[in-house]
Amino acid sequence: MILSAIAGIMLSAPIAAVPMAELPKASPILHEADCPFCRLKLVQNTETEDNEVVLRFGNKKIEYRCLFCVIKDQRRYKGNLVVYAPSEKVGEPIVLKRTDGKWTGPEAVRILNQFKSHGDCAALSRAFTTEAALLRYATDRKVADPKPLTLEAFIREVERPK
Amino acid sequence: MILALLLAAATADGPPELPAWMRSSAPDAVEFRPVRYQDAIRSVPAFARDMYATSVGHAIAYEAMERGQWSTMEDRTYRTIRAVLSAPPRFAVDERALSPRFSRRQSSVERVFEWAHALHFRTIDILAAPGLSPSERRRAMDAAWREYQAQPFALTGLPMSMAYLDGFPWSGNFRRRYPKVNALFWAYHWLQTANYDMLFETPPATHRPQYEVLGAQYRDAELDRVDRDFMPMMAEQSPRFALAYPQIANAFDNLHMLHDQVNDLYATPGMAPAARDREIQHAIIRVLASSHAGETPGEATNLDLHDHRHPPSTPGMGFMKGSEDDVMFMSGMGWMDMSVCAHCSVPFEPDPAWGATVTANGWTMRVRCIMCARDMASETPGRAVIRAATEQPGQTLVLISDDEGNWKSNLPGVRFVESGGEHPECHAWSKAFTTAAAAEAWRQSAGEDVPILDLTAWGQLNRGKPETYRKINRPNPYRDSGDAR
Repeated sequence: MILSAIAGIMLSAPIAAVPMAELPKASPILHEADCPFCRLKLVQNTETEDNEVVLRFGNKKIEYRCLFCVIKDQRRYKGNLVVYAPSEKVGEPIVLKRTDGKWTGPEAVRILNQFKSHGDCAALSRAFTTEAALLRYATDRKVADPKPLTLEAFIREVERPK
Repeated sequence: MILALLLAAATADGPPELPAWMRSSAPDAVEFRPVRYQDAIRSVPAFARDMYATSVGHAIAYEAMERGQWSTMEDRTYRTIRAVLSAPPRFAVDERALSPRFSRRQSSVERVFEWAHALHFRTIDILAAPGLSPSERRRAMDAAWREYQAQPFALTGLPMSMAYLDGFPWSGNFRRRYPKVNALFWAYHWLQTANYDMLFETPPATHRPQYEVLGAQYRDAELDRVDRDFMPMMAEQSPRFALAYPQIANAFDNLHMLHDQVNDLYATPGMAPAARDREIQHAIIRVLASSHAGETPGEATNLDLHDHRHPPSTPGMGFMKGSEDDVMFMSGMGWMDMSVCAHCSVPFEPDPAWGATVTANGWTMRVRCIMCARDMASETPGRAVIRAATEQPGQTLVLISDDEGNWKSNLPGVRFVESGGEHPECHAWSKAFTTAAAAEAWRQSAGEDVPILDLTAWGQLNRGKPETYRKINRPNPYRDSGDAR
C-alpha cells in the first residue's frame, strides 16, 4: 500500500494495459510462421486445398506464402533450388527447379499472378498443372481477366523493375 | 525501501527528494576491481570492436539530442554513427568525451549507464575467459554482481513490468519519430543481449566462429531493423543465460528500458528541459536497486512500479505487454509460450540435461532436443547456431551451419541417435554424444537398436512439422491494426 502511494506520487500516469480478458484464447494451428519475404503469416494446407510453398535449399526447407514471394526472395540463395508449389491437386505439388540460375518446370504449368496486395498473394499467386485448371480456379475465385503465365513469363514479370 | 519512504515523505508538496549521489557533483569514476581475465572480450576481436562501437553510437546520439539536433537526427547523425559502426574502434571509448553536454546535464543517468555498461563488459569477460572452471566462473559472476550492487547507482535485478515502464504518455516517442536511430539503439541492445548465450557454457574456441554468425546478423540486419515492436530482451536473446543469472538479465533489461525512457523524454515535443530532466530523474529512481530493496521476484505489491512478477518459467524477464503467465509476445516471432519447446510445443523437462538452443535470423529459442533444434534451423533462411547438451554435463556441443544447412561441429567425433518416436518424449530418443564410443555405450545401456549417425548423415534428416506444435494466435499487442505478427 505504501509502495503504491509512493508510485502514485513519484510517477507520471502510465497508459492502461490491454485487459487480458479481452484477448482471444489460443487456437491450435500447425507450424504457423511468417513468410521470409512478405512477413505475412504462412497459409497452411487444408483438406481441400494445398497452400504451403516449400523451397528446398541444401538441407533447408523454407516455407513461403506464395510463388511471387519465392521469386522475389530468390537472390538470397546462392546455389540450386527446388520449389514445391501447391497445385490445384491436393497432395500433388508442382516441382520447379532453379539449376545454375535457370528455372525449369513442367511444360504445361501455368501461373496466376494477379494479387494487388500481399494479403491476397497466397490465393492469387499460384501454379496450376494446366491452363484449363488455372481458368477454372480463376472463375471460382471471380478473378477478373485472368492471365495464365508460363514459368518464364511469370519470372520475367516478377523480376521486372517497377 | 528506506529511499522509497523518504521519497514518499518528501514528495507530498513537491518533487521527490533525490538520493545523495544524484545531487553530488563529486568525482564519481567507479571501476570494477582488476582481474586476471580483464578484457577477455578481445579473444573475439570483431565482437569487442562492435561492443566498443556501441558506446560511440550511444554517445553521438545523446549529444545530438542534448544539442537539439532533431532535424538532422535521421540523416546526418545517423550517417555519422553508421560510419563509426562500420569502422569500429579498437579500444573502449570514454562516452563522456564524445557527449560532453549530455554528460554534464545528465550526469546521474550517465553514471547509471556507465556502471551498468561496466557490468556488461565484466560479465562478458568472465564468460569469455579461457581456463576458468564452471565453478570459478559462477563465483566470478556472483562476485561481479555483488560488486555492481554495492554502488548506489546500481540498477535493480528484480524483474520490472515492461508494460508499465513503457506505458507513459511519452513512451515510444523516439521510436516513432526517429525510427532509424532507434533501430541503432535496439541493435546495440540486441548485440548486448544476444552475446550472452553465445558465451555461456560454450567452449571459448567456439566464440569466434559463433560471432561470425551473430556479427553478420548485427551488421546486415539488426542495425537496419525498423520493424521491432519492442526492445530486445535478455531472456528472448539469451534464454539460457537469463535462466542461470536472472538478476543480471533483469538489470540489463532495466538498463535498456532506461535508455528507451531517456530517448523518449528527449524526443517529446514541447516538453520543457527542466520538466524533462525531472522525468529523467524519476525514470532513474524507478529502476534503481535502492528503490526496490527488500522486494521479492515474482511478487507484486502493486501492478506498476512494484510489479516484479515474471513468467513462471523465466525469472530473468519482467512481464511484457499482454503477458499472461508464460505466454508473451516476441517481436518477429509472435506469441510464444516460454515454458515449452519453440519447435514442438512440448513442455521442457525438469531434467538438468537442458536440450538445446537455436540461434537464427536474429532470434534464439530454447528447444527440447537436438532434433528440434536442427529442424527449426532448417526452416529458417540463413546461417544458424545450435548449442546443445551432450552426455557430458560440462561439454556443450556447438553446431554452426552455412546457408544451406550444412553443419560444422566443435566436437570432431560428435555422434547422434534419432530413433524416432513421439515428440512428448523426443528428449529421450534424440540425443547428441561427444564420441562414437559414448553413443555406443548409450545404445547398449538403453537396449535401443538404432543407428548411430555422424554429423553429415544427421544433418540431412528433417522430420518436418511436429504434430504437437501449437501456435498461439493472438493479435500483436503493440499494433492497433491487430496484425498477428
